[in-house]
Parts: sequence; C-alpha cells; structure tokens
Amino acid sequence: MDAFVKQIANTLPCRDGFVRQLYRYYRTGDPFPPALYIYGQSSTGKCAILREVFRQWPGEDEGLRCAHLNAISCYTNKILFETIARQLEGAKLSQSNNYSSDGKLEYAKDFLAALRQRLDSDRSYVIVLRNAERLRDMAHNLLPLFLQLPEATGLNISVVMVSSLPFEKFYTKTGLPPLLKLFVPEYTRAEMQRILMNDFAQHILGLTGYQPRQDKQWLFAVTEEFHRNYVTLFLGTFWKVCRDVKELRLVAAECFPPYCEPIRDGTIPAQDSVKLWRNITKTLRAALSTMYMRLGTKSVGKSVTPDGTTWLAQNLELPYYAKYLLIAAYLASNNAAKEDRRLFMKNHGKQRKRLQTVNARAKVVEKMTTKLGPKAFNIDRLLAIFYAILDEKVGLTCNLLAQISTLVHLKLLTYASSAEGGGGGSAMLDGSATRLQCTVGMDFIMQIGRMVGFNVRQYLTDFF
Amino acid sequence: HAQVAAGTPKRNIQLSNIIEECSNGRRVSRLLELSPKKLEPLPVEEPKTPKRNSRAASTQPTSASKGTPKSANKMKLIRDGTIKPNIHSRDAPVQHDANELALARERLHVSATPSSLPCREKEYEEIYNFLEGKIFDGCGGCMYISGVPGTGKTATTTAVLRALKQLSEEEEIPKFEFVDINGMRLTEPRQAYVHIYRQLTGKTLAWEQAYNLLNKRFTTKAPRRITTVLLVDELDILCNKRQDVVYNLLNWPTMPTAQLVVVTIANTMDLPERLLMGKISSRLGLTRLTFQPYNFRQLQEIVMARLAGMSAFNSDAVQLVARKVAAVSGDARRALDICRRATELADDQAKKAHLSVTVSMMHVQQALTEMITSAKVKTIRSCSRMEQLFLQAVTAEVTRTGIEECNFLGVYSQFEALAAFSGVIVPNPGRAMAICARLAASRLLICECGRSDIYQKILLNISTDDVHFALQASKLL
Repeated sequence: MDAFVKQIANTLPCRDGFVRQLYRYYRTGDPFPPALYIYGQSSTGKCAILREVFRQWPGEDEGLRCAHLNAISCYTNKILFETIARQLEGAKLSQSNNYSSDGKLEYAKDFLAALRQRLDSDRSYVIVLRNAERLRDMAHNLLPLFLQLPEATGLNISVVMVSSLPFEKFYTKTGLPPLLKLFVPEYTRAEMQRILMNDFAQHILGLTGYQPRQDKQWLFAVTEEFHRNYVTLFLGTFWKVCRDVKELRLVAAECFPPYCEPIRDGTIPAQDSVKLWRNITKTLRAALSTMYMRLGTKSVGKSVTPDGTTWLAQNLELPYYAKYLLIAAYLASNNAAKEDRRLFMKNHGKQRKRLQTVNARAKVVEKMTTKLGPKAFNIDRLLAIFYAILDEKVGLTCNLLAQISTLVHLKLLTYASSAEGGGGGSAMLDGSATRLQCTVGMDFIMQIGRMVGFNVRQYLTDFF
Repeated sequence: HAQVAAGTPKRNIQLSNIIEECSNGRRVSRLLELSPKKLEPLPVEEPKTPKRNSRAASTQPTSASKGTPKSANKMKLIRDGTIKPNIHSRDAPVQHDANELALARERLHVSATPSSLPCREKEYEEIYNFLEGKIFDGCGGCMYISGVPGTGKTATTTAVLRALKQLSEEEEIPKFEFVDINGMRLTEPRQAYVHIYRQLTGKTLAWEQAYNLLNKRFTTKAPRRITTVLLVDELDILCNKRQDVVYNLLNWPTMPTAQLVVVTIANTMDLPERLLMGKISSRLGLTRLTFQPYNFRQLQEIVMARLAGMSAFNSDAVQLVARKVAAVSGDARRALDICRRATELADDQAKKAHLSVTVSMMHVQQALTEMITSAKVKTIRSCSRMEQLFLQAVTAEVTRTGIEECNFLGVYSQFEALAAFSGVIVPNPGRAMAICARLAASRLLICECGRSDIYQKILLNISTDDVHFALQASKLL
C-alpha cells in the first residue's frame, strides 16, 4: 500500500489519506463497496486521483476495468447506459463497428441485462461518474439503481460518484439505500506551497522560452531557494482570494518571468527579496484583478479594469438613436414612473416640500433603485422618455422600433415577462403586453451618456 | 404419409380463406381446435418455394410435437388468431390433504364464485329481465351498473350472462354473442376496439382498422345478424379527454342495425353526470342499477352459504367478521379474505396441537387485528430513537405554529431543544436531513426532495395523536 501511495504522491502530492482510503476500498482484493460518494470543492484532485487509482498497473490487478464518464454529457438514458456498457466491456468505437455499440440500451432493464450477459463475473468493475449531481435531474430510477448495482447484476461492481455537493442534496422522496461517503478537504496553505514548488522545473522552462538564448549566466541565480521565496510571496497575495489549484498554478507561471526580469537586467541582485517584492507588487495586483478570466500571458502587467465595462462601452459601437434608446431604457428601469412627470415635462407643477417627501428622499444606499436592480417598463414609456431626452424631433419610423428589438437581441435589454404575450416578441406592438428591462450597469450607461454628451446622473432620482 | 402431409395444408388454406371472409370468431377456434389432431403425424418437410413455406407455416397450428414456428411467423399467427395463448400446466394437480379447514379455505377463496349469488337476487332479476328483453326484441340498449368495490357487480352480471348463454344453447332464447372488456386491462382506451374485434373474430389489428371494421359492422345492415352483448367493466378508465371511445361504444347501440347491448360497470353512482359529456350520458340512458354495500346480515349469509354443510367455522366468528367488515366497507372480498386468514391461523394451531380445531372468535380476532389495524403505530415504535425525536419535533412545531405545514428550519430548532432535554448530542443538520428523508421514505412524513434542503416543507402524514400514542408506549414522553 505504501508503495502505491508513494507512486501517486509523485505526481499528485498531499493526498495520502484519500489515496489510502481508496486503496482500502478497491485494491485489497475484497469485494467492492456498492457505491462510493466522493465530495469536496472543485479542483481538490478528486478526479485526477481516481484516474490514477483505477489505472491498470502493469502486472497487478489485471481484472479491474473502469468506466470514466461525465454525467453532463449523458443527456439521455441511452447515452449513459451505452457509454458505461461499452467502456466496461472494453470495446472501442471504430470504423469497423460503425461507431455504434451492438445493442440499444434505452431502459434500465436492458442495461442490467447487458451487464449481466456481456461482463465477465471473474473481473471487477468500477464506474466513475463525474458531476453526479446531474443524476438527480435524470430518470428517477437511475440514482437508486446505481447505488445497488452489485445486487442487481451479481457482479463485483462499484459506482464512484464525484460531486461538489454534500449527499444531503440527493435525498429523494422514496428513500435511498445507504452508501459510503468520502470527503476531500481543500488544500492547506502549506500543501498549496508544496504543490506550487513542484512546478519549479516548468517555471525555469518558461523563463528560457521567454528570454533570448544568449545570456544564460543569470539563470544560475534562480535557485530552488529563490523559487520558494517567490511562491511564499505569491501566496501571500493570492491565498486570501483563491484556493483553486489550477488558477493559482496558471497565475504563478505567468508572474514568474516578470519577477525574474530585474535579475536578468542586473538591476536588483537575486538575494534582495524586499526590492524584488516592491518591483513585482504592481504586476501581482493587476493579475489579481484578472483572476479567473484566463486572458493569457500577454495581459500580465497591463492595467485592465476589474469588470471590463468601460472597455465594452468604449468598444461597442451603437447607432446614435440606439444609444439614446438605451439611455431612455436605463432611466425607465431605474426611476419610478411617478417621477417621470417631474423629470421630463417642461411645465410640471410646483413641488411642495413636505416632511414625508423629505424623509422619503433621505435614502440609504441599500434602498436606492440603482442598487435594487432594474424595474420593468413598457414600450410606451420607453418611447416617451426617449422623445423627452432627445433634443431634435425624429419621426417614429420602423428603424427606430427595429433598434429596440436589436437591443433586445444584443441582450442590452430583456423581456421582463416571458410568460405573458407569447414570449414577449410577438406582442411588442400592443404596448401593454410587453415589458422590458434594461440590463446594463451604471458605469456602462455613464460612458454611453458621455459619448453622446448627455448627463445621465442628472436624470436619476437617486442622486437628487 | 407424405401425400397426406402434402395434402393437408392445402385443405387448410382453403378453410382459412373461408374463415377470413365470414369473420365469425367461434368457427375459427372450433376448426383450429380440431386441426392439430389431424396434423399431428405430419413430418417437417423441406418446402420448395418460400411462398409455400410461409403458407404452410401459417396453416400449421401449435403442437408441441413439432418445431415451433419462427418468431416472425409466430407473431403473425398470434395476430391472426391461429395460435391461442396458453400457459404451462402441471403434470398432475397438487394433492390436497382432505382436511376440513383446507376445504373451507378453498371454498372461501374469492375466485370460487358460487353459481347463485346470495343476497343479490333482486339485482340478478333486473339485469336478467333487461338483457332477455333486449335479446328477444333484437334491439340495442345500454345499462349502467354502479356500486362500491366488492358488492358483486361483475359476479352478478357474468352469472346472468352465463345463464342466458345456457338458455340460448338450449335454443329457448335467440342466439347472441358475448364480448367483455375491462378498462383496467387496456393500456389505452382505444385498445378497446382491438379487444372487441379480437373477441368477435379472433384477429388482432391496429386500433384504426379495428375501429373501422367494427363501425362498418354495426352501421351496415345484415339480414342474419345476431345480438351482441358487450360488457364494459371499469368504464371510468375508458374516459379520456375527447371521450371518443366511450362515445362510440354507447353510440353503436342507438343504431338500429347494430343489435348491440352494452352493460357498463363502474364504481361511482354519479359517473355519467360527473365525468361524461352530455351527449354520452344521454346515450347511456336512465337504465341504472346501484349495488348497495352488504350489511352484516348479508355478509354473514354469504360466508355461511360458502360454508354450507361444514362445521369448520363457529357461527359467532362469522358474525364478528361480518359486523367488522360491514362497519367499514361492506366488501364481500374483504370478509372472505379475513375468514381465510382465520382458517390459516386455526390450521397453524391445529398443526401445533395435533388436534382438529374449528375457527373460533379468537382466531378471527387475531386475523382482524392483522388485517385492519394500521401499521403506522408499529412503524413509529420500531423507529430509532432519533427518528422518534424528530417526529416529536415535528408535532411540537405543528402545535407551536398552528399550521400543519412546517419547514425544516423550524423543526430543526425544536429538534435541537428536544435533544438537549433528553440529553442526546444533537445531530448536525445534514444528519437531521437524513433522518427526515428516512421518515419520508416510510411515509410517516411528507417532504419535498432534498434539493431544497433547509427550506423544505414537512407535513405530518399521520395524526399527532398517533405519534403521541406510539411514543408514550415507547416511554419517550
């Protein structure tokens, strides 16, 4: 067992307990547990380790056969059953069998019959099912079936379900048989450091690819000790935000070359970690804001705004009237309809100041309409506001109306009530039936307003 | 031999052709019942052309001595009605020990319907008069029979039809055909056409074809048509949204050419007014008959009639069964089942004591407690301690809020308090959810699925008194 654990720890460190438990269940020669439920956060190495554990080692455990599949891809019973049966049988799809299996397996009955007939009772079988939470959305008999496959087939078969939810979310009204549950905890900081330090060789490779080949003497300064310092420093910035191994490894690899840059230039010696830290902070902060965005290596070091809305607003080229329509839609969504008269009409009556209204105005940030989310409005109101905020008089042409539906297509507006009016679009011209919502944010609309020379803030009741 | 073999199929082909034309079901079956005996010595010979092969196969009836026909052919034969379905039979019937209790048990079996049903003479008379009149007149009509389950509706009707069949065979009344369908045995209402057509001709067709042929049969004139009696059991299952099947079944009797008498049976008295469209309930007519549930005297009479001439039963025991059953449902089947269970219990005792035992009050009481008492209290008693605590928490939450439906969060807070009182470590919410799911699977609670975890709604499926009663016995309260 120890040799086995060590072998896996070479590539996938810090998971010894989990591997040991799996070894006890599946590699000691005892009959398998009928079902095993493995849960834990994403990218804690569940699937990678399962793949390693159930790989056929040369010379041992010839009898084990494993089917790996993802429940998301099995959108019908047939695909699920046939994929499992094929993989357990060891058959491969090729041109000779016309890329199809021999029998149709549409029902659980057929599936069980196929398992009973086609599989060898001397061997043992494992089905690894990723994203097992999808099983709840499939046919109701699947989950109970997979929890007691050995009983139903008489084989030494086990189903390993992998998911990120606890099993409490799986309970059905008719009850489920008991099963083994295994929790995979997240990596601690020390473990994460070990994992990142494993990438030393890869980082060096990245450096050599990044640099011209002539001067390599400085590379001798990049030792493992230096790398360890880098990893500690890196985790100091990133550990609070992200514990996802994949993301951290990517960003660490991206930020390492800029970290080494001053050493190559010779401006800062490799031992002066404080200066190196000052040098890199700007890059790290930029990388922190583009986390999970997977923008590629080029973006590191450039300043990209956190959410990218201004970028989008500057680069989205809308026609002139469409911009005004969008502003009108934003105003209609974020102002109460009773305020329209005061905001957009020339001769609205005098406002009486009453204590009640004064109190109502004294809003807290949580109650501002721009924070609560957009309200729905109908087309008449949109057009009325549009004509009110536009200085010139334009005719209500079909181009104008078509631009509204184009904005809907661009998902800058949405139908608020899809149920009524036959999906919204059909009853657009009835006026009352269709209600729209504006989906863009405050910054975006400010940018658009700036482009056409219109102050949006002035027309928002929140900011009086 | 070979010449005979070559000759026989040919003759059969001709016969089968005739059968298809005249489309008379009973003649087919009679002919084919005879044919296997004729064909038995026929050796399997190599046919020359595929055409002849198929014909020869289609005329070969089932006989165990010969090789079974190929499956495609077999299906064709089954659909043609040439092969009748049959089941494996024992070599010899199972030997019974001639015990009096065993004999009583055999007689008390629900399927051992007596030839004359006690306590249903009036209803019998009514159905008989109706059907006899219609058959004599050669006209069509409808009748609707209703009553709660186990009041002898189907048994009485089939008894009437058996008697009429006998009379028509003795040629005292005109001949008639009898078709019966049961809504419960159909996968789909439209399959009714298929079943009716199969019983009339022996062939299985698609429902459109069967419907067209039946429609043709009932709407066109035929000089020598005989009356058809159609018994439709479980009429309410045949009602779909369009109600076309029920409409057709009740419309055909109104055709003067059809000579169709439809007897429909269902459970609810007001079914025609409640479920059926106006045009259908008007066609169903006002010839109604309601079977009242048996009272205890009648049940007693029924059981005693079955046990006539036997001393296996104590008459007080029968009365107890009759009174208990009559108070609940008046279902004769239930009374018979309880009596059978009582004889089994008495038999067990007799085997233990090696004595002859008659069924007494004690056995009946035991059978009644077995069959009538609810299993819920027992289930609660056999629940684990945590499950009992959880049930108690649900009742506490119901009394606290006054609303029957409570959500998991409220129940869990009660559960925590109760567990603290009784000095147990409180399970975490995940465990509590597992407990809740187990109770829901045994239908003590009604829950939503686990996906809406702590916001799931919980409803008690039993009365709070039951929970208190059960928990008091287990000394938890």
